[in-house]
Amino acid sequence: MFATLLSAAAAARLARGADDAVVIPGKRPMILHNDRPEDLETPLRYFDSWVTPVDAFFVRQHIPRPAPIDPKTYRLTVDGMVAKPLQLTLDDLRKLPQFTVPATIECTGNGRAFYSPKIPGVQWGRGAIGNAEWKGPRVADVLALAGGAPSAAYLDTDGADMGLAATPDFVRSLPMKKVMHPATILALSMNGQTPDIHGFPVRLIVPGWDGTSSVKWVIRLSATAEMNRGFFMNPGYRYPKFSLPPGSPPKPAELEVIEGMPVKSCITAPEEQAKLPLGAVALRGFAWAGEQTIERVEVSTDGGSRWRDAELSSPKLPFAWRLWRLDWRPSDPGYYTILSRATDSAGRVQPFVCAWNPSGYLWNAVDRVGVTVEKAA
Amino acid sequence: MNRRLLILACALASPALAADQATLERGQKEEGRSCLPCHSLRLIHSQRLSKAAWNKELDKMTGWGTKIQDRDALLEYLVANFGDDKPAAPPAMSGDGSGAKKP
Repeated sequence: MFATLLSAAAAARLARGADDAVVIPGKRPMILHNDRPEDLETPLRYFDSWVTPVDAFFVRQHIPRPAPIDPKTYRLTVDGMVAKPLQLTLDDLRKLPQFTVPATIECTGNGRAFYSPKIPGVQWGRGAIGNAEWKGPRVADVLALAGGAPSAAYLDTDGADMGLAATPDFVRSLPMKKVMHPATILALSMNGQTPDIHGFPVRLIVPGWDGTSSVKWVIRLSATAEMNRGFFMNPGYRYPKFSLPPGSPPKPAELEVIEGMPVKSCITAPEEQAKLPLGAVALRGFAWAGEQTIERVEVSTDGGSRWRDAELSSPKLPFAWRLWRLDWRPSDPGYYTILSRATDSAGRVQPFVCAWNPSGYLWNAVDRVGVTVEKAA
Repeated sequence: MNRRLLILACALASPALAADQATLERGQKEEGRSCLPCHSLRLIHSQRLSKAAWNKELDKMTGWGTKIQDRDALLEYLVANFGDDKPAAPPAMSGDGSGAKKP
């Protein structure tokens, strides 16, 4: 009975979250899913460059960010199953060889809003993703300073952020094989700038894996024999080994840790339900494939009957996205359904139907945008 | 429907409606008390979930330390306003902070 619901004014006030103006320092206007802690999605119109600017990069916080860290007193603890536990300063990290890794970071739950039935969690659309140039020392070199961890199976990474009340601490375990990969770094800079809300002064970058692996505000690396048992390793960030009927509960024993990301492309222009004058239209977007490279992006402007290959940007790298572009000149006015579909170096092809899963992770269905082409006045 | 039946229906319905409104108001109060200390309400209001899913969220948050006093009212309020049959939440945008001092 609607009479029992909130009045329209009250509902509108609630929709605003009772905050009339939320400004996130260092960020352009962003799609605001949560302002405390910050969950900010990048509007598609900002995705017009290979490197996503820091002020437009999406933000995902599970728990409030820590109090500002003083770079002078910052210490990184390296302990656990290492030969020589130690504490490192920021200068110690700067003295190690520095590597630049271009890598796309995508929230594991990017696209959750597209799943049906609905799934609890931040209702991300297309924009919980970005591509940046991360720079810093290799984690392998940091572990070498501590004498190495030859018998450890995992590296636990803890950030300086802490959960409120009984919210679990954010700790992630990474298998040693990925830890020792030369592209796995502790980033001290992002696009040549300090990472600010993205984990200043030190964040882990795990290229090609889901964003949750790349822990921010890193203060401890612990070599361990077993995977961390905290919430953010289990049941958090796990995916069903066997597909489930949509809407069904997870089977805890059959949930697996997510590793590399799937193949995916996205249409960034024109935007959904855009009205375009009859004439030339630049169709644009991005595509990435986790640890693989993007080999092909096909685009259809007729709902999937005919497909054309889009032009892909260079370079072709693992971990980093490629931008795609296709010039389209519709001959008639009317409504058009535009689709994009990527193929990667492992032969994976973006599916038409993305498997529903209980946490709404890894959305990668063929992207779809509807536009109306209008006769010039 | 004859007049007597209509009166009977109203008599039956109005206390129920009043109770519902009061419950929803209690639920909204409870939301402020038990959810707001840890996160903004936007995180809740942007979702559209079934009663079973909201109920599970309350279990999860209880496990994470919130002490919900009026759980039935909170659940009823969430389902009535943010149920999976409700239209999608309008998107919200933050203001321009690109020139502001960084955190």
